[in-house]
Amino acid sequence: MSDKKNLLEMFKTVAARVDKREFPQVTSDSVITELGIDSLSMMQIVGEMETELGIMIPDEDLVEIITVGDLCKKVETRL
Amino acid sequence: MKTRLEEKLYHEYLQFFEKAERERRWNVFEDIPWSRINKEASEELALCAETFCSVEMYLPDYVAGGINVVRDYFGTAWFQANWGYEESKHSLALMQYLLRSGKRSEEQMFDLHNKIFAKKWELPFHTARQMTFYGCVQEQATFVIYVKHRERAAKENDECLRTIYDFVARDEIAHTRFYQGVIKVLLDEDRPGTLADMAHVFANFEMPGVGIVPEYDERILKMREAGIDRSVFIQKVYLPILKYLGVGRHEMLAAQREAIARRAELRDADPAAPATLAATAKAAEATAPGAKLVEVERREQLVDVERREQLVDGNGAPLLAHAGSL
Repeated sequence: MSDKKNLLEMFKTVAARVDKREFPQVTSDSVITELGIDSLSMMQIVGEMETELGIMIPDEDLVEIITVGDLCKKVETRL
Repeated sequence: MKTRLEEKLYHEYLQFFEKAERERRWNVFEDIPWSRINKEASEELALCAETFCSVEMYLPDYVAGGINVVRDYFGTAWFQANWGYEESKHSLALMQYLLRSGKRSEEQMFDLHNKIFAKKWELPFHTARQMTFYGCVQEQATFVIYVKHRERAAKENDECLRTIYDFVARDEIAHTRFYQGVIKVLLDEDRPGTLADMAHVFANFEMPGVGIVPEYDERILKMREAGIDRSVFIQKVYLPILKYLGVGRHEMLAAQREAIARRAELRDADPAAPATLAATAKAAEATAPGAKLVEVERREQLVDVERREQLVDGNGAPLLAHAGSL
């Protein structure tokens, strides 16, 4: 639970750094595109999270990421 | 005396052109099964063909703008000339389809042409390297979209339109391959600079019809019904291009970070954006006080994202990366 919360907070931090704006209302159920985050920014967010955590999500898994929770799950299983 | 770069680009073009002449040429009047048009096919199918035709109709602007950016290099300049010839066949074939199918009259087509030519396509980028990569992304996205619509035409038993999309898609992926070959050469020459330009183009990419094709936003909604969704950009355009070029996702991060940051700065500095948002929010508040601002803001963000990713969603939808994947 705590790890999930930390990943959510990490997403908010990285997304804010990448897209230069805050994302205070984000939850696990938030659809990433509905946050105004386009595909390229999403790739950047994923890449920066991977770098910080020292993990790698396979390319074929990236297209399955729809919500913030989807991304957190992909990360969590590789920690 | 030729430079090493000129020589490499010349060979890229010669390879492209030889293959085109030997394996890929097709004839609008002889190779398309015009008798196999399904006149009972849906209006949606015709509307999408008309939209493709409309985008292709800006050919004079594409050629005029594009060829001058690369005129110093024989290989890329001659490619642009050949590209113009091939693209002219695409619009001609689609126009003939619309007329011969009875879906559009000559008068309707003239009206459309007049609307199209009332606006002009402007170069989205202004250096040869950026425009080369723009061409790479645009052709890849277009290929994906045509492949999707080829499937749609087949489902509606329109063998004529299916064949047109087949020829067009084949041309588009060949164009992608040429651009990719050139980008590989440019990566060899200046990898950091080329990566920076790639990131800049990815961050600011729009399909060529955005903002100029009449009723474009409405048309895009119909185009998406072919199965184009946002994941296509990543799956069929972004990742395949990087893979083909031998560039890893993580190698793009530094350049992408800067490109996205510059885009955000422009977004924040655009005085029209907050004004539009405020005006829209005010109007929304007037009709349904409270709770509308967030929705309006969200909707505007979505529109912004969707405009950038039309390829994905309109022009924008799923094609391929390597012809094989489709």
